[in-house]
Amino acid sequence: MFSKILIANRGEIAVRIIRACKEMGVATVAVCSAADKNALHVALADQSCCIGGAEAAESYLNEKQIISAALLTGAQAIHPGYGFLSENAHFARLCQKNGLVFIGPAPEDMERLGDKARLKELAEACGLPVIPGTKALQSPEEAKEAAAALGYPVMLKACAGGGGRGIRLIKAPEELAEAYGQAAAEALASFGDGSVYLEKYIFPARHVEWQVMADEHGHAVCLGDRDCSLQRRHQKLVEETPSPAVTEEMRRSLMEKAVAAVKKMGYVGAGTLEFLLDGESRFWFMEMNVRLQVEHCVTEMLTGFDVVKWQIRIAAGIPLGFSQEDVSLAGSAIECRINAVGCGTLSMLHVPGGPFVRFDTCLVRGMAVSPYYDALVGKLIVQAKTREEAVRKLRAALCELVIEGIPTNREEQLRLLEDERFASGRYDLTLMGNG
Amino acid sequence: MALIHFLKPKNQLEEGGRTAAPVQRDDGEPEKNCPNCHRDTPLSRLWSELLVCQCGYHFRMKARQRVLMLTDGGSFEELFTDVKSGDPLEFPGYEEKLATVRAASGEEEAVLCGTARIDGQRCCLFVMEPYFMMGSMGSAVGEKITRLFEYAAARRLSVVGFTVSGGARMQEGLLSLMQMAKTSAAVKRHSDAGLLYIAVLTDPTTGGVTASFAMEADIILAEPGATVGFAGARVIEQTTRKSLPKEFQKAEFVLAHGFVDSIAPRSGQRKTLSALLKIHNGGHHHGPDAL
Repeated sequence: MFSKILIANRGEIAVRIIRACKEMGVATVAVCSAADKNALHVALADQSCCIGGAEAAESYLNEKQIISAALLTGAQAIHPGYGFLSENAHFARLCQKNGLVFIGPAPEDMERLGDKARLKELAEACGLPVIPGTKALQSPEEAKEAAAALGYPVMLKACAGGGGRGIRLIKAPEELAEAYGQAAAEALASFGDGSVYLEKYIFPARHVEWQVMADEHGHAVCLGDRDCSLQRRHQKLVEETPSPAVTEEMRRSLMEKAVAAVKKMGYVGAGTLEFLLDGESRFWFMEMNVRLQVEHCVTEMLTGFDVVKWQIRIAAGIPLGFSQEDVSLAGSAIECRINAVGCGTLSMLHVPGGPFVRFDTCLVRGMAVSPYYDALVGKLIVQAKTREEAVRKLRAALCELVIEGIPTNREEQLRLLEDERFASGRYDLTLMGNG
Repeated sequence: MALIHFLKPKNQLEEGGRTAAPVQRDDGEPEKNCPNCHRDTPLSRLWSELLVCQCGYHFRMKARQRVLMLTDGGSFEELFTDVKSGDPLEFPGYEEKLATVRAASGEEEAVLCGTARIDGQRCCLFVMEPYFMMGSMGSAVGEKITRLFEYAAARRLSVVGFTVSGGARMQEGLLSLMQMAKTSAAVKRHSDAGLLYIAVLTDPTTGGVTASFAMEADIILAEPGATVGFAGARVIEQTTRKSLPKEFQKAEFVLAHGFVDSIAPRSGQRKTLSALLKIHNGGHHHGPDAL
């Protein structure tokens, strides 16, 4: 096991990773920007290095500074958390060149799984149902023919896409020609590659993802699913496991498929396979996240397995110490994200307690929320025997959470939890106006 | 707001697995051993780190490599390339030595002179070449540097100079010693014209170069760990019969004793130099355009 790990991140996830390290007896190095010098993750770590200015590009995205900090402090591995450098193959390769272990997949895997077209082929070859669609199109006429074959509505997407750019929803044939021109131009401007492809539009749909873990000895397990359909503008707000829309039979079948796919890909590390679940209970593979996810905590609460610790152990070459049979998915766990909706300085914090209530946060009294980074300041997670009990517990806990001095989305979240559609479990991506 | 103080848990380190990863390198990639930390580093990585080891040791750098690192792309225009050393004393073996060194280093002389932009700031630049007889100063080196200061004074440009030298070139005898006075006079005329001269002393800067233009700059910077001195430490010990402090003649020691103004690590040199030049140029414009 590594005796010292550098955490190349900030906020609640840096705190989360440092905690795992402390339990494992691993010394920690925090990195921070000039705006984060007094942050909780800095106070918690054994050592810290200020690596640059408040702008992320100068600090948390500054590859060379982070590598230097790791080498100077004698860290043997770097945990990238989520966001920032967590999916950056160049950074992972830089770690290798410097004799540092990147806690995450190999750079080659990141490149392979980050390329949408290649991933789709790979997923299909691994037996996952992929959204019906075309390869890169040559002309609007070809698009028209393909769309007719797929059946409207269809989505026009950029091959090199991401972040919602170069995407058009087409409901009828007469919209296609104009949308094709726009999407291609947007794709060219955004990604330097104007090629586009068509995909069947799945609607209405739920976002259901599957947590997998695989070691370098060929073992792989699936830690169940997470329903992340409560999103606003593609930002997840509430996540739960197991998904109320997935039956036991569907779950068993998908878990088997996910494990088989991960083994076939030769993937090593923690990963998430993201699917859309349509109104007819069919799963459609979207993409794979090759890092720790924000919502990993619900999986931890339900299964009792510490995803972060296992990530670190896998990176150290330790075989998974459990098999699929050891994974129990009984009960229900729900997470509610607490986002800052403005800047401010925390004057008072009261954290809800009681059994099976967890609050992952970077908040400490006197801390200022700056405009430079992600708005997530905490995650409230509860677990109970049944979904109904978990919903009640989350509502009660959310009412007990007090954050003064920083405006948050707490009340908005409370209203969402009180929405009848959420309580019943019958909701999809359209609940918050997505779609 | 002060940092919160937490107690540290005394959990034993979990067992099993690997403790570290080997440095990955391309097949057959040459590496360099660091004389300070004794670690091997692949050359490609060393290059990307400006020839600075992860322990902070600054390897010697070829003059042209330094020009590339320091100046804005394509802005370096070399001057006085026709000035070359002869063999006025017919010193035994000097001609052959020059021929070998010229072939090996790819340079005609131990200093590169020219004009360049450093982060947008125009200046005259000279960079001495450690791989040309350890940057020793013969009549050609002295002449090129003298001409550069005269050129800069005529065009009202600042001079930035990187020194590395074992001292005067013994094969040219008195002629090389005379270069000390000649270059010093040129520096003085440049200075009297109210112009800025910044020297960056790199490892090693010794002998006649230290005793002349290296130490005559308005602002004297030094690379970390560089040896800066006149006579060698061993010679001084043998002469004075006294043992010298451990860090004697290291840049940091020289700084502590007031001979240089600051230590400038390689990674920040471009920024430091451009900032100094900018201040001298009045803080805004990019220096005289009449080049």
